[in-house]
Amino acid sequence: MSATTTENSRIKSLKKTRNQRKKKGMSDNVYSILLVTPAMIIIGISALFPLFYAINIAFRYADLTSPVGIGEFVGLDNFRFALNDDFFWNSTKVTLTFAISAVSIEMVLGIGIAFLLNGTKWLKGLTRSVLLLPIAAAPAAVGLIWRYMYHPEFGVIGYYLNHNPLSALLNIEEINMLGNLKLALPSIVLFDVWQWTPFVAIIVLAGLQSLPKEPFEAAKLDGASSFMVHTKLTFPMLAPVLTLVFLLRSIDALRLYDAVFSLTRGGPGTATETLTFYLYRLGLVKFRMDQASAIALLFLYVSVVFTIFAMRWLSKFQSERITER
Amino acid sequence: MERDTFTKEDMLRYILIFLLLLFFLFPIFMMLLTSFKPDDAVLTKPPTWIFKPTFDNYRYAFQEADFALFLKNTLIVSTISTLFVIVLGSLASYSFARYDVGKGHVMFFILTTRMFPAIAVILPYFVLFRGIGETVIGQLLNIGLDTLGALVITYTMFNLPFAIWLMFSFFQEIPIELEDSARLDGYRRFQVFYKVVLPLAAPGIVVTAIFSLIFAWNEFLFAFMLTRLDARTMTVGVAGFWTQRGILWGPLSAAAVIGVVPTLIFALSLQRYFVRGLTFGAVRG
Repeated sequence: MSATTTENSRIKSLKKTRNQRKKKGMSDNVYSILLVTPAMIIIGISALFPLFYAINIAFRYADLTSPVGIGEFVGLDNFRFALNDDFFWNSTKVTLTFAISAVSIEMVLGIGIAFLLNGTKWLKGLTRSVLLLPIAAAPAAVGLIWRYMYHPEFGVIGYYLNHNPLSALLNIEEINMLGNLKLALPSIVLFDVWQWTPFVAIIVLAGLQSLPKEPFEAAKLDGASSFMVHTKLTFPMLAPVLTLVFLLRSIDALRLYDAVFSLTRGGPGTATETLTFYLYRLGLVKFRMDQASAIALLFLYVSVVFTIFAMRWLSKFQSERITER
Repeated sequence: MERDTFTKEDMLRYILIFLLLLFFLFPIFMMLLTSFKPDDAVLTKPPTWIFKPTFDNYRYAFQEADFALFLKNTLIVSTISTLFVIVLGSLASYSFARYDVGKGHVMFFILTTRMFPAIAVILPYFVLFRGIGETVIGQLLNIGLDTLGALVITYTMFNLPFAIWLMFSFFQEIPIELEDSARLDGYRRFQVFYKVVLPLAAPGIVVTAIFSLIFAWNEFLFAFMLTRLDARTMTVGVAGFWTQRGILWGPLSAAAVIGVVPTLIFALSLQRYFVRGLTFGAVRG
């Protein structure tokens, strides 16, 4: 009842304001577009200019170290180069390996921590504060601290990894985490796990705490096992939050740059060269803007397609949340 | 049944939580520890744990590496860009929330731009700012390569989409009735916005500002690419301790502490909103 009366009064007042508006002469449409315009101009420029620039240059010859600079039209040559480029495929592989392993570890650990914290009675504030620290710290700065910790001789992780009773007993050779072809990427994954597992944990925890209590009480009365409660109730109800966290993490992981720069600069060799780092090397170190632009466009295309699917999910989730209220 | 006693299960739970907190705190602790280490305690085998703390590293960061300049640049760039973001973003976001401009499609477009990988747009930005820097307008407004103006513009560009989305959820919660009755009281449309809506959306605006500040503060890639010397920011400055002769771990840690601590304090003081901000306003903390 009360909902419909507020609805009625809203319509009434709207009609009144609309009549007043006629006198002043500016319609809702004009006003709303005026408000949006300044921001949209900036967003438009920031999104469309680089896009058109990259499209233009990707079809030309452009070596910024040569006197010609941006040269003639070469058709699809740069795209052909990209698809036949071993470094491109290597960096794609590195990026996917990193994203898949980092995000899956973060999801599993983060969900675990959220469940662990959900049952606690004490120290809630403290735990949450500690969890927030890695997220807020600049990756470029703490990444370097991790590099120090990984140092095989002087770093805490590096030193104790090589100097402990077990490694002496088994006579293991000295391990240099960041200098080892096989261990360098997992080291970056560990750093990323440190920085972003708290993010997953905090958000899943927020999701857990906002679940309605009634279904769980009903399940308890029916004598459902805790396994049943989790598979049939908790996880299905958490699904939107989990999807959201998963998508936000995936999109970020595919764009990894800062951590690579601070920890390994792509090395050893190209073992940790992610796509974004390879783009940097090709475009801004070797100054082959044409090839870099072609790869950037391919990357952009894939990530926008991914984003569109991702955002469908997100906006569905958003609208569900709005209608819930 | 509520358990008031401390069971074995609780014990296990708290031990686990304690270990986890240790893991997440440890690198931050190491950063603080190293920043106070004297020179001869930084590169030792095994790592030194007990030493006489010194401020030498902080002194070095400020005297030898001009960290004061980096810090000043970061402060200027992050506050001015945040100011732009809040003003432009709140206008647009309010309009999206209240009048549904573009029926959600424009909002969607805005979000997609935020998902562009930074590295894919950096080449054109580089060329753009190099071009503008050579013109009279660029020199007058201090926009070009290695200028603070270029960074302000760049950060405004990449923080705007996020800010619009974040504030959107706050504006939506303001009852339309309040705005309508203000109109009936004779407020002009824009007065309604800044006298009624803005004060009500204050928490959302504060959160957005904090986030925009943290993002700009922590940003590395654009700052690294678009600056050389005069406009260097804090994150690039920290990376600058990775010199040709090796990495100066002590001063680097001190610099990292100076750079990281402000954002940590920000995040801690606004915990509840922080969660909401992390998810573009989709999850309440």
